[in-house]
Amino acid sequence: MNYKPDEGTLISYLYGELSADEAAKVQVYLQANPQELKKWQALSNTKDVMGHVQDKEVIAPPIFMDDTKVVSFWNNNYFKTVMSIAASVLFLMVAGKLLGTEINYQQGELKISFGGKKVQTENPAQPVLTEDKVQEMIQSSLAKNNEVITAGWTEDQKRLSQSIRKNLDQNSRKIDELMKTASDASQEQVRGFVASLQNDNLKLMKDYFQLSAADQKKYTESLLVDFSEYLKEQRKQDLMILQTRVNSIEKNTDQFKQETEQILANIISTPMNKSNKNSY
Amino acid sequence: MAWSGKHGATSPRVAGRQKTRNFWCTLKLFKLIRHLYSTNPLNVAETLLDIAMMHSDSLIARAREGDKTAQSKLVQLWYKRIYNFGYKFFYDHDLAMEVAQKTFISMHKNIAGLQEVTRFKSWLYTIAVNYCREEARKRKTNRALSLNDLKPGEGEESYRWEESHQRRENPERQLRQSELSDLLQSCLMELSAEQREVVIMKEYEGLKFREIAETLGISENTVKSRMYYGLEGLKKILEQKKITKETIGYEL
Repeated sequence: MNYKPDEGTLISYLYGELSADEAAKVQVYLQANPQELKKWQALSNTKDVMGHVQDKEVIAPPIFMDDTKVVSFWNNNYFKTVMSIAASVLFLMVAGKLLGTEINYQQGELKISFGGKKVQTENPAQPVLTEDKVQEMIQSSLAKNNEVITAGWTEDQKRLSQSIRKNLDQNSRKIDELMKTASDASQEQVRGFVASLQNDNLKLMKDYFQLSAADQKKYTESLLVDFSEYLKEQRKQDLMILQTRVNSIEKNTDQFKQETEQILANIISTPMNKSNKNSY
Repeated sequence: MAWSGKHGATSPRVAGRQKTRNFWCTLKLFKLIRHLYSTNPLNVAETLLDIAMMHSDSLIARAREGDKTAQSKLVQLWYKRIYNFGYKFFYDHDLAMEVAQKTFISMHKNIAGLQEVTRFKSWLYTIAVNYCREEARKRKTNRALSLNDLKPGEGEESYRWEESHQRRENPERQLRQSELSDLLQSCLMELSAEQREVVIMKEYEGLKFREIAETLGISENTVKSRMYYGLEGLKKILEQKKITKETIGYEL
């Protein structure tokens, strides 16, 4: 038999990474060659001894990742400053235009004015009045006024006296009529008055009972509303209790999940190669 | 996995329903595992590993789509492995931390470009190996800094005890194991960088020869050859230091 495994095959055999056929061939070869078997065993022993190097326990430190965000041209600080200055200047210019601002500098004098130039209109010259003329005008005006007042006063007095007289006549006539009507009042009219009074009372009583019934209805309704609100509140509290229970179940689930993940993480972070080794 | 759905904007009611469903799925999963364990305990480990890998794949897919939570979980999941790879490569805690952090920052930046989810492992180790080589080059140029060569434990008395993960065990045995681990680690450091990275990936990180070849960008035969000569070299170094399987058994 001329089969002789190379170093790669031997090392694969040592770590159990050969197919079943190849592994069988190597096994037969090693059985047939004690010298090679001894060499292979020495390697296996070295592997076993080196397996005593322990893993160091370490806790992963928090690693903070800073996502470098690309600042757009519009969000650039420089652009913002320039734009704000430009906006301020534009605002001032528009305001100046609207207010009609004018700035003049003439002969060492600075003038800042708002609005257009004011046009002054001159009054035409009045004819001159003398003191005597004014006196005369006042006196004539007073005399006229006195005449008008006196005439008005006498006229008013006349009218007043006439109206008083007329009123007195009318009143005496009315009183006479009233006295006549009162004496003519019949018994039937009195009865009608009493009947209308009774009707009014009946209506009043009816209204009262109606109002009372409405109040009672209202009270009963409010009682029912209160009761339904009480029931609602009770339901709300029950729901809150249920919510608390569900939250507690969720919390337990999360804890359970974390524990499971931890177990799985432990399984992953423990290399599984040691169980695969071929032994001889 | 049950909770591997896409992370989008969902209403609280839908989210609640999803949570309840996840809970029942997880419960069913555990019942299934218990049933499997009662029928065939040997298959349970494989089943769990499959589940874990599915979980990991869904995380990678989500992380690739930019899900920050998934990325953070991936860091938690792989940090220990990458740190230990760096530690075994340099035998130096600070350098291992440096490499692990740089690896995960790079992962965050470039995961969107990962073509296949199944290649994540080799992709991650490629990043780690590249950073290890970069650090090794820097270290070579700054050789004058003797502090870098200080072995952990020499400068810090309590170092090993703080990192011990089996404190409940017999302290004396724990100390001996830790010392042996350091001794074997120093033997590993005597290998060339090329052999060392292959030995670490195979022996301690459990990568297949195909995955190592993918990670290092070399042929599978070269990987096997480096592994073979790496083990041969270690055998000689162990012989020189008189460390054998028997002496270790006696010591422990």
